[in-house]
Amino acid sequence: MNLTLPRFFWSEYRKRRKKASLITFALFWGTLSILLLMAFGQGMTIQFKVAFSGLGETLIMVYGGQTSLEFEGLPKGRPISLYPEDVDYLKDRIPEILRIAPESYNYLQVSANGKEINRSVHGTTAEFALMRTQVPQLGGRFLNADDVAEGRKVAFIGWKVAGDLFGGGDPVGKQIIINRIPFTVIGVLQKKIQDSMYQGPDADQIYLPFYAYRQIDNRRRINQIHIQPHEAAQSKLIEARVRTLLGRKNRFVPDDRYALSFWNTIEDAKEGMAIFKGIEIFLGIIGALTLLIGAVGVTNLMYAVAKERTKEIGIKLAIGARRRVIVEQFFLETLFVFAKGTFWGFIVAFNIVHLIRLAPINYDSFGIEAYLLRPELSLQIFAAYMAILGVLVFLSGIFPALRASRSNPIESLRYE
Amino acid sequence: MIELQGITKVYKTGSQILEALRGVSLKIGRGEFISIMGPSGSGKSTLMNIIGCLDTPTAGEYVLDGDRVAGLSFDQLAAVRNRKIGFVFQNFNLLPYATTWENIELPMLFDGKSGQKRKKRVSELLNAVGLYDWRSHRPSELSGGQQQRVALARALANDPPILLADEPTGNLDSRSGEEIMAILTELWKAGRTIVMVTHNDRIASYSRRIIRLFDGMVQQ
Repeated sequence: MNLTLPRFFWSEYRKRRKKASLITFALFWGTLSILLLMAFGQGMTIQFKVAFSGLGETLIMVYGGQTSLEFEGLPKGRPISLYPEDVDYLKDRIPEILRIAPESYNYLQVSANGKEINRSVHGTTAEFALMRTQVPQLGGRFLNADDVAEGRKVAFIGWKVAGDLFGGGDPVGKQIIINRIPFTVIGVLQKKIQDSMYQGPDADQIYLPFYAYRQIDNRRRINQIHIQPHEAAQSKLIEARVRTLLGRKNRFVPDDRYALSFWNTIEDAKEGMAIFKGIEIFLGIIGALTLLIGAVGVTNLMYAVAKERTKEIGIKLAIGARRRVIVEQFFLETLFVFAKGTFWGFIVAFNIVHLIRLAPINYDSFGIEAYLLRPELSLQIFAAYMAILGVLVFLSGIFPALRASRSNPIESLRYE
Repeated sequence: MIELQGITKVYKTGSQILEALRGVSLKIGRGEFISIMGPSGSGKSTLMNIIGCLDTPTAGEYVLDGDRVAGLSFDQLAAVRNRKIGFVFQNFNLLPYATTWENIELPMLFDGKSGQKRKKRVSELLNAVGLYDWRSHRPSELSGGQQQRVALARALANDPPILLADEPTGNLDSRSGEEIMAILTELWKAGRTIVMVTHNDRIASYSRRIIRLFDGMVQQ
C-alpha cells in the first residue's frame, strides 16, 4: 500500500497503456529495424575485414615493370624484373620491414590418385604463411624454414585442390606429381573467405618450398615480393624505400611510376573500410529514422495524454504538486512506453541475428551471403542504439511534459 | 492570518475586459469560520482562487500568514497550497484512477513525507471520515457524500491551518450535505480557519461571519 511517486505514476500509466499499443508496435518495429540494420552494417564491415585478410593483412606486394623515364643515358622502356636476391637486399636495408618473402608461380600439370589437373603452383618461403593467412587444417602444416633451405619435396595445397585430387580423403602424407616430380602433401589450407586474389583463390593453389619450386620452373626472375611492415603506417615509406633501393640497383629513376608496381593492401583496406563504415552509418541512419517515426508517435500520444489529463493535472497542481512532479510523471510514462516497445524489439532483433548467424557460409562459391550471413550485434551497436534512444526519449517526453507542467491550475480544474 | 487589500482581478478576452474583483479588502483571523456569498458572477470563486493561491490578483496585496503572496514563484505557491491550504471543491475533484487511499496520500507524497508518516496519517483520516473500509475503492465506486468525505480527508492530509470549501454541499443530497457540514464545524472547533463559498443561506448559517460580494465588491 506504500506509495511512491514512480509507483503512483506506474499505476496511472497502467490504466491507459492499451491506448499506447499501436505506438508500442511502432517502437518495436523501429528498434528491430535500427538494430538489424546496424547489425548487418557492422557484420558486413567485419566480413569485409575477414575477406580482405583472406589475402593477407598489412601486406605490400611488389611487382616488376617497365621504365617510362630515361636514366643516365639509358633509354625508357627497359623491363625491370625482380630476383630472389632482392629479398635479402631489401630486408637488410629497410629496417621497417617485419617480414618479406619471394613468390614465383606458374600454371602446371598436377596429378595424384589417378587424377590430373592444371593448377597454379607457387614457390615461396615459410614467412609467406604469416603474411598471406595460410592457416593449415588440423593435422597439417605450412612450409617451414627447413623445407625451404633443404629444398624438400613437400607441398601445401588449397582445400579445393585437395577435394579435386583426393575427394573426401585426407591428403596429408600422400604424394602429388608436379612436372613428373613427386611432392608429399604436408598440409591443406583451412577454409576461408577471400575477396582479393591474384592467381585465383588460395583454395585452388599449391605452394612449394622456394628452391624445390625452382627445380620445376627454372626462371631466374620471380613474380613478386611480399612485404609486411612493422606498422601499417609505414607502408608508404617502405614503398618509397623499395623504389629508391631497386632504382639504384636496376638503374631507374625512383620516381618512375612504371618501373615497379605495388599492390598496397593497407591502402586498399583503408578505402574499403571507409566505404563499409559509410554503409554502416547510412544503415544506422535509416534505422534511426524508422525509430524516429515511433518516437513521433510517442510525442503525439503524450500530447494527447496531456490534454486528456488536463483536469487531473489541475487537481494535482491544486493540492500542491510542483512542476517537477508533472514533468517527472510525463517523462516516466514516456519511458514506460519506450521501454515496452524497445524491449521486445531488442529481443526479436537479438534472436533474428542469432538465427541468421547459424546459417553456413559456402566457402567454395564466395558470394554476397558471406557478407550478409554474419550480422553482428555488438556492445558498440547497443551503445549507439541506447544513445539514439536516449535522445529520442528525451525529445519525445520533454515538450508534452513542459506543456503539461505549465498548465494554469484554474483553467485545468475547469476543463471537462 | 489572511489579509486582502484592494484586490482587483481583471480578465481580458480579446477586446473585452472583465473586472471580476474590484478593490476587495478583507481580513480573516485565525480560527474564523467565514462564508462568502453572492449571486453568480459576483466574483466569489475568483476571490476563493486568489485566497487559495490558485490565482494571483491583477492589483492589490495579499498577505497570508505574514508573507506577501505576490512575490512567490509557481512552485512556492504550490508549496503554500500543499502545506497551508486544504481545498474542498463542489465537484470533489478526486483523481479517477487513484484509490481512496491514494487520493488522500497524494498531498503528503508531494510534500515528501516518509512512507511511515503517510501510512499513519491516511489511516487516521480514513477512520475520521468513516471510510477505512472503502480505502481500495475508486471514486466512481463511491457515493457523492463519500467522495466529498474523501476530498475532505485529502484536504486535511498535510494538516493545513486553512480549509477552503467551494460549494462543498452543492452536489450532495441534504443528508450528505449535513454530514459534511458537521465535519467542517468540528474542524473549525478544533481551531482550523474555514472559508466557504456558498449561495445557500442554511449552509452559510454554520459559519460565524458572512461576506457578501456583489459585482466584484464586498457589500458592507
